[in-house]
Amino acid sequence: MFDEPYRWIDAIHQRRDYIAEQINRATPVVGLSVREGILLATFHRQNPKLYEIYDRIAMGGIGHPADLETVRELLLNMAHVEGYQRSAFDVSIERLALFGIAPRLKAAFEDIAAPPLILDVLLAEVGQSSKEDLFLQVSFDGNLQRSKGLTVLAPSDEMSSKMDGLLEERLPPKDRTLDEVLPVLSRVFMEILYSQEELGMDGSGNVITPDKLEECKSRLFKEKSWEGVLLDRTSPARVKKVIHPEDMGR
Amino acid sequence: MRMENKGEAFSFPRPGFFPDLIKKDQPWFRIKSDEGRPLSGVAHGTTILAFHFKDGVLVAGDRRATASNRIMSNRVDKVLEIDDSALLAISGSPAMALEMGRVLDHSLKYYRRSQLTDISLEGKVRILAQLLKENLPMAVEGIGAVAPLFIARDGATRVVRIFFYDILGAHFEGVEFSVGGSGSPEVQGILRYLDRWSPRPLRELSRDEAILLALRLLETASYFDSATGGVGGQDPIWPLIKLLTPESLETIEEEAISTIYRNEVMRVR
Repeated sequence: MFDEPYRWIDAIHQRRDYIAEQINRATPVVGLSVREGILLATFHRQNPKLYEIYDRIAMGGIGHPADLETVRELLLNMAHVEGYQRSAFDVSIERLALFGIAPRLKAAFEDIAAPPLILDVLLAEVGQSSKEDLFLQVSFDGNLQRSKGLTVLAPSDEMSSKMDGLLEERLPPKDRTLDEVLPVLSRVFMEILYSQEELGMDGSGNVITPDKLEECKSRLFKEKSWEGVLLDRTSPARVKKVIHPEDMGR
Repeated sequence: MRMENKGEAFSFPRPGFFPDLIKKDQPWFRIKSDEGRPLSGVAHGTTILAFHFKDGVLVAGDRRATASNRIMSNRVDKVLEIDDSALLAISGSPAMALEMGRVLDHSLKYYRRSQLTDISLEGKVRILAQLLKENLPMAVEGIGAVAPLFIARDGATRVVRIFFYDILGAHFEGVEFSVGGSGSPEVQGILRYLDRWSPRPLRELSRDEAILLALRLLETASYFDSATGGVGGQDPIWPLIKLLTPESLETIEEEAISTIYRNEVMRVR
């Protein structure tokens, strides 16, 4: 069936399209360096998407929950064996990604006879200061993308760029605190997940019907569940849940 | 599923059970002494103690490790923080005990992270029992026996409890107090006496009274047991004292210990 090269390439293209289509409706995961540590935030419908992996390290993901679980388990096993046999300081997301999941994801993606893994992964590692924080996105085909300060794991490049732009524009450039970023985050999530018409905005993004905006805010927290975790610089051995002030009492 | 775990490190039959991941690498299965005789130069000797006081449980240990009649170190930490709700006080072979502490620490974290919930107090107690049971060959060789105290806060009830183990892994609850190590007989007798016949039982001691008692107990143990490090002495090396309460885990600062020692232990007749 795949005995000729072009058939294999064709199959890979189809596979890429299929995976992109499958994760198309996913809600993005945002990673942000703040004064307190690293905040990972998203909204989900059914299954949590943010996980503690090891001291200083957490993971976010979009895609099929079963595939995310496969990768999560691999990361957990690698990190804990490495941390036990050597030191917790020898466990890094660079090594977990480069020598752990990236080669396996690439191999799984290129094995066109098998069902594909439908996921994209975001790894975060908190440092002693925000300058040392690191984000790594690992895509379903094993590609890596490093970033610092702010990152958005979204189902499409377009959505990622848009959300990244909105957050860069509205967040303090540096030394931002958790309290400062949470309201901005929920507003940006709304602008990504709902149309301008639903939000009561005109074409330039000005709010012309505030009631609609409030309704969308209510819908966002009602239809989806807020999920936020903090990799705390002062106690990095356990992630902390972050409660969104707008989610309280709902 | 095409993402196969080909490395054996990734195969584990029991979900959330970290020791399975490292079983082949546990060193205590492989070390043997010649002709069954105990190895010389293996460190041991200790006094560790834990007792309930008004706010929670005080856990303390001396700092000395000895090998035969040699002092190997006077700066060993024998009260290990496993997480923010559990302490392991070690007596016996430090090599095995510290390794067990490390496995236990990773086991609890691995369980929490993989199963997305904290393991129960009973589960923690059982993991340590299994590690001790697996250490049995080393214990019977006479070179790797470990008899720890495990002090942990119950996640559900917030009650802090003391457990003590024998070298085979049998574990029991020390309702008011538990002790371990070669210097423990004197300490055990004193604690029993105080709890039974002093005007107030141990559970009614204040924080300061509990710390002072711990220092006096360790000094008494060192008076009779050469393998127990003294309090103070020529070098400013102080015992390790930690307080685990329903709300917090606190390590007593060396400065505070030295002040109490100078004022309430050294100069008091």
